[in-house]
Amino acid sequence: MGFLLPAFLAAMAALAVPIVLHLRHRDKDRPLRFPSLMFLEQLPIRTAQRRRVTDIPLLVLRALALALIVLAFARPVFSKNETVAKTERARAVVVLVDRSMSMGYGDVWKTAVDSARGVINSIGTGDRVAVVLFDEEAEIVQALTNDKAAAIAALAGAKPGSRGTHFAAALRAAREAVQSAPEATDEAVVITDLQRSGVTGIAGLELPVSLQVRTIAVGSVERGNSAVASVEVRRLIEPTRTMLGVQARVFARELKAERKARITLTLNGRPSGTREVTIPVSGDVPVSFEPILLPAGRVSGSVTLDTDALTVDDTLHFALAGDDGVPVLLVVPGDALVDETLYFERALAVGQAPAIRIEQVRGDQLEGPKLQDAALVVLWDSPMPSGRAGAALTDWVKRGGGLAVIAGRRLAMRGNSNAMPQRSNDTVSSAGNAPAATGLVPAKFVGLADRLSDRGGTLGDVRLDHPLFSPFRDAASALSAVRFLRYPRMEATAGAEVIARFDDGQPAVIDRRETTGRVVVVGMPLDAQSGDFPLQPAYLPLLKRLVLYTSGRDAPKLWRTTGSSWLLPASLKEPAVTIPDGAIVRPPRDTVGSTVALNAAGVYAVYDGKVQGEPADLLAVNAPATESDLTPVDPREMLIGVRQTNDSTRSASDTPTRAETESRQQLWRLLLIAAALLLFTETVFANRGWRGTATRMKAVLPAGSE
Amino acid sequence: MASAPAAFLDPAMLARISDLALLARTVVDGFMHGQHRSIRKGSSSDFAEHRSYQPGDDLRRIDWRVFGRTDRFYVKEYEADTNASVTFVLDASGSMDFGSGPLTKFRYGQFLVASLAWLSQQQGDRIGFATFSKDLTDIVPASTRHLQLLLHTLARAKVGGPSQLVLAVDKMSHLTTRSGIVVLVTDCYDSAETIANSVGSLRMRGHDVIVFHLVDVAERDFPYTTAVTFEDAESGARLPLRPEDLRTKYQKLMTEHHAALTKRLTGAGADYVRVFTDQPLDHALHEYLDRRLARSRVR
Repeated sequence: MGFLLPAFLAAMAALAVPIVLHLRHRDKDRPLRFPSLMFLEQLPIRTAQRRRVTDIPLLVLRALALALIVLAFARPVFSKNETVAKTERARAVVVLVDRSMSMGYGDVWKTAVDSARGVINSIGTGDRVAVVLFDEEAEIVQALTNDKAAAIAALAGAKPGSRGTHFAAALRAAREAVQSAPEATDEAVVITDLQRSGVTGIAGLELPVSLQVRTIAVGSVERGNSAVASVEVRRLIEPTRTMLGVQARVFARELKAERKARITLTLNGRPSGTREVTIPVSGDVPVSFEPILLPAGRVSGSVTLDTDALTVDDTLHFALAGDDGVPVLLVVPGDALVDETLYFERALAVGQAPAIRIEQVRGDQLEGPKLQDAALVVLWDSPMPSGRAGAALTDWVKRGGGLAVIAGRRLAMRGNSNAMPQRSNDTVSSAGNAPAATGLVPAKFVGLADRLSDRGGTLGDVRLDHPLFSPFRDAASALSAVRFLRYPRMEATAGAEVIARFDDGQPAVIDRRETTGRVVVVGMPLDAQSGDFPLQPAYLPLLKRLVLYTSGRDAPKLWRTTGSSWLLPASLKEPAVTIPDGAIVRPPRDTVGSTVALNAAGVYAVYDGKVQGEPADLLAVNAPATESDLTPVDPREMLIGVRQTNDSTRSASDTPTRAETESRQQLWRLLLIAAALLLFTETVFANRGWRGTATRMKAVLPAGSE
Repeated sequence: MASAPAAFLDPAMLARISDLALLARTVVDGFMHGQHRSIRKGSSSDFAEHRSYQPGDDLRRIDWRVFGRTDRFYVKEYEADTNASVTFVLDASGSMDFGSGPLTKFRYGQFLVASLAWLSQQQGDRIGFATFSKDLTDIVPASTRHLQLLLHTLARAKVGGPSQLVLAVDKMSHLTTRSGIVVLVTDCYDSAETIANSVGSLRMRGHDVIVFHLVDVAERDFPYTTAVTFEDAESGARLPLRPEDLRTKYQKLMTEHHAALTKRLTGAGADYVRVFTDQPLDHALHEYLDRRLARSRVR
């Protein structure tokens, strides 16, 4: 409510007049102390009580009348929303139906659809209804309409999927749906099993004040559920073959009793192991399968539990490359000594999990299929290759490749003698390189540090929390024992992170994320001529971590969750993807590449061109593990973080009619009438008070007196 | 017996004296200055009268000269040679904290008690003191050396609260083992019958009782004219009234109350003295001395 003439409100100060008069009058009535009322109370008396008691009501009446007169002159006016709220308004109802994986539990989905139909059928003739299906995202399948049949039909093809729950997305969709109904009373009816995990992200959500949210809980009273929560695989290298060990973890919540079930391992569509498992009422239980011969090529598999009320989470899919070897391209300078990289190559060749395959190449060979198949490129004291090779390497790194620059005296001297290509870009790329190579190496080389005189330098400041140094978190002394006689002086460029320094403060290792790839510059000499690192125990584990971390193979994922997307390998010219329901998708290619939305649980296979033969890559997708926990949330708790705001866009969009404007301003007449009535009442009341016949009253003891 | 100079006994003048000891001496000296003879009777050897010998009387007190002249046994009687015990009981209830003139009733009562105590001290009496409201407070045991303590306690006495005269008098009678004079200074806001019963219990224990009834002129005249809310000084109860309509009836009730007090207290064997707080103190002092002299004669 506002006022057309708010300046009149200043007249409210006049309210002080009757109050002051009343107070002055009250001062006059200050009681007179008298020794005793013993005799006075025995008299048949005429009291002055009536006049005094009527003072307070009279004061209230006079003040109220004055306030109403002032308000009337200030011309109060109602805003549009308030005016309309008083009248009969049409309703705009948004039916939000949860179709997340958990809604597939028992008959919950059927109940939800029935409830949605009930809500749609209950709306009035002038009301409108919209239908929104939501899981992690919301989809308006029917905009606001008067056609109930159309709204019900929009539910026909819906069914629970394999995605998680996100109430915030649903409420945002409701907010969007009611934008087209500014005059209506908005209501969002959320039909859901109220899964607690769905509340995430709802804090801070803004909804218009006019939108009322109502929830219809359709979750089953029985919430017992068991699921395959995770799978771990391990390659077991034997002399003549590679075996695969699989361990699954079965999850259970609120079962009525312990449950005996059979759990089956399937690899490439063939049953590969079975176990009997006793699932506790609530808790986790691990299940290990017998090691099985690792099939050749890429492997997809699943672990399936005997089905229960919620079937989707009883199967967990996974996929892994048949060969987990890490191909490394080692670029060695032309003037390299014969055994300069001997220790480096021998150290990486040790071990089979994973197997690191090193191939020495020249700088100009860094392009084509050889580069695309590589997991890591190592520039051994070499500058960035020039020309197309440099551009190809830069592009490859930005699309997920790993680059390790092992800096030595050559790079240091080139930097000093201004012999480095493209010095203006502070990189070691050669002159005339393609622009794409600019700034790829996150270091500037400014000279060579010679520590022969003080028996060599050591590592002084190492960030042990960095993944590269994770093997040394409990054995930091292994790194500090290494002596370095000569090493390049480096300066990290913008955006790079120095994760290790020598004891003189010079950077020893620099790391920088390059889009989806990674570049690591190692200033520590890895040969036996400039230090004793190859002879120290820390040498081998550090090199292993360097390869795995920089190539991104340190934490391979066996599956991803629904709701995410898959960036297909850039090497595929015409990618074709088979999705879990058997359909083939050919995603368009854009500047980033080809991407496939992962909406369903199962195994996605990508092919190049025709869908036949060995797939180029496999990806397993599962529903989020939180979706298997059916613990409900209180509806009030669900909305506790929602903020209600005035929707200014809606109110501003309508221009009121003349009749509406008049109706909003008519309150002043009512106020004047009310003031007149009050003044009349005051007159009657006051006169009756003075002329009334008093009766004797009993003395009243004030509180605290005896 | 002539009146003392009014300048020394006028309440308006006394109100300007804050030291009770000075006030009491001023009052008493001014009062005694106007007496034709000293109230001092001299030592215990002062002869008073003869009376017939009664069995049990001390043979040493037989006047042998009179026996020689009349051949009858007479014993000599002398003025009192022992101190009387005088206990002043001052009403300190809220109703005493009222005064339409320069003095409240309580302040007037303080002056009166101080003056009487000073006078009694000069008489050689043992003096004690107590105040009461809903219970006895500020008790000073009777002693010939307690004048300063009495005056100090009297000056510090607080006024307020409801009055429990019956309870106070009852406790007073238990506190004093020796019979003596009890001077009760109060405004008698209780029924005459109740007060008389309390005083009667004191009389039963052998005490002589003098009741000084302090009355303010406003209580007597009820001079209020405009409608006003009256507040009970003791209970805090309030009563809105138009006093001009009630004055006659009120004064009639007061007169009846005073008459009842006179009748009942006199009937109970006590001396009842009504004192208006605008009157000089000499009236009260005269009344007290008369009772004291009657008490001082011993046999």
